Amino acid sequence: MHYTSPFTPSTSKPGHGSIILSLLPPNTPVLSTVSYQYPLKLVAPDPLPPLTHSSTDPNAPSLIHTVFLLTYGGGIVAGDAINLDVRIVGGTRLVLLTQGSTKIFRTEDRAVVSRQHMSVRLEKGGALCYLPDPVQPFAETAFSQSQIYNLHHSEGSLCVADWVTSGRSARGENWDIFEYGSRNEVWSVDEPGQGKEKRRLLLRDNLILDQRGQTNMPLSSRMDTYSVFGTLIIRGPVFTSLSSFFLAEFDALPRIGARNWGDSSAPQPSLPEKRRVERQAQEKSDGLIWSAANVRGFVLVKFASREVQGARNWLRDMIREEGSILREFGEQAVLCLK
Amino acid sequence: MSITSGDEQSLKDEIADLERRLRDAKVRLYQNDSITVSPTPANDTALHAFLLLSDSALPLGSFAFSSGLESYLAHHKPSPPSASQLPAFHTFLRLSLSTLANTALPYVLASYRNPEGIEILDNDFDASTPCTVARRASIAQGRALLAVWDRSFKSQYSSTPTSDGTRNAHTAVAIEHLNSFSTSLRTSFDLNAHLAPLWGLITNILSLALHDSAYLFLFSHARTVISAAVRASVIGPYQAQAVLASVELQDRIRGLVEEGWEKKVEDAGQSVPVMDLWVGRHEKLYSRIFNS
Repeated sequence: MHYTSPFTPSTSKPGHGSIILSLLPPNTPVLSTVSYQYPLKLVAPDPLPPLTHSSTDPNAPSLIHTVFLLTYGGGIVAGDAINLDVRIVGGTRLVLLTQGSTKIFRTEDRAVVSRQHMSVRLEKGGALCYLPDPVQPFAETAFSQSQIYNLHHSEGSLCVADWVTSGRSARGENWDIFEYGSRNEVWSVDEPGQGKEKRRLLLRDNLILDQRGQTNMPLSSRMDTYSVFGTLIIRGPVFTSLSSFFLAEFDALPRIGARNWGDSSAPQPSLPEKRRVERQAQEKSDGLIWSAANVRGFVLVKFASREVQGARNWLRDMIREEGSILREFGEQAVLCLK
Repeated sequence: MSITSGDEQSLKDEIADLERRLRDAKVRLYQNDSITVSPTPANDTALHAFLLLSDSALPLGSFAFSSGLESYLAHHKPSPPSASQLPAFHTFLRLSLSTLANTALPYVLASYRNPEGIEILDNDFDASTPCTVARRASIAQGRALLAVWDRSFKSQYSSTPTSDGTRNAHTAVAIEHLNSFSTSLRTSFDLNAHLAPLWGLITNILSLALHDSAYLFLFSHARTVISAAVRASVIGPYQAQAVLASVELQDRIRGLVEEGWEKKVEDAGQSVPVMDLWVGRHEKLYSRIFNS
């Protein structure tokens, strides 16, 4: 018997997912598409209004959408391939989150590399806040991920983090991976669809950890006793004040090798100054080092720490202290940093 | 079986005789070799250019940069303070070479092979350089190399026709791309003039072999870091020469060129993440004698 399904045929492929955040005029964003296939899973809780209606931007959206990127089993098994497309139109804001660190499980064969790819399209006036948990590759794993952000005419706002840990430190794992690669690229894209679209690379941050490099050193010693490395990429009008905050704080770091002669401290430190001193003391005790640079319209923050928690706390404290992400995107934006 | 002293003596004589004949034969062989090779060196134009570029007096201002060594040493204070920083220096040299080979070398190779891509390569290299300190260092030396080309090499290499015509056409195209790059650099904000892509293009024009160009690029970096170490009082000048001359360094550079030979620029990346932090935090040093 011939049977015709009343539903449109599924076009989804294993590991593929798609998120489209569009705008219902005048300013109501809706998630028009959230589709996914095993082993990827997307969960979109109800959108929330921002904590305070934005004072900086009268066109700010009335709702902030959040999507959790999950994988079955909480991690990526050898040979998995995940492919996610995200599209954010003008006037909308999206928070992407993970639920716990992305664990990469052991591979029998080092040639079997698991992959995760995310491609984001961002239009003018759109904003993405992606502060995930770190990737945690276990010993004997091979993993490669790429996050490609395509900005329409270099417009749009981004605040995305990418960080990786040394493995299960409680089990003594210390960068015992076969290989790990993480690529973050930001492109400016002009007029897609009209013939050949013009692309220009704005930023590439490519981390490659493998056995190459002729160093005769195991990975663990190349990492100089750090067990977390991370990058934070910030760009666009929504994150202007966050960008300047990171640059100002980097500027205010004590000089390496300077001595305290006891005559430079202000007699009455203000509250933010007091918190800064506390934070810097915490950085020191956590063995956290960081740097911030203003390059090509981005603020690029790099950090490393001895323990995961140190980096997590630092990132959370910095973002809380500055406050604009919480105001514009709500508490849930920093869920992964709790 | 017993050998009498007479037998033993005659055997020894025979061995000595055979060794002498072998030595003579070898000498004759290599004499012939050197006679056939030396009068007409195959590629002395390339050798000449190689010597020009390998000269530490080439005005690139490389002496002003330590490529993160100074910051690295500040982050690794020896305890007790009198302890030698030599092991730390050796570690840094390895990591620094590995970083350069992973990040910059693919751009050297790509622009040598593909001179018309210079503007895109320059942009992409700029996009891939994550910190201001490293960017500044690369651009300063790239611009200096371009100035050396403009003021010193250009007239020599553009006008003199070379003996073999085939290479000439390629070189003319490469020169054209370099000159147009140099012209647009003055008017465009998008161009930066990073060292790595310009090194590839200029060594192409000066007809260095690609392998030599890559080897020299890494070698010059090693020399710069080692010389910075001498000025930072980490090692002495003779020790520095010993490190430069070492088979270990030769093997490392050779291995890195081999590893990077097929690497595409899209796959260039940081293999030592902490290097970005050391270089980036150079700005935070209380006292500095280098620019990076």
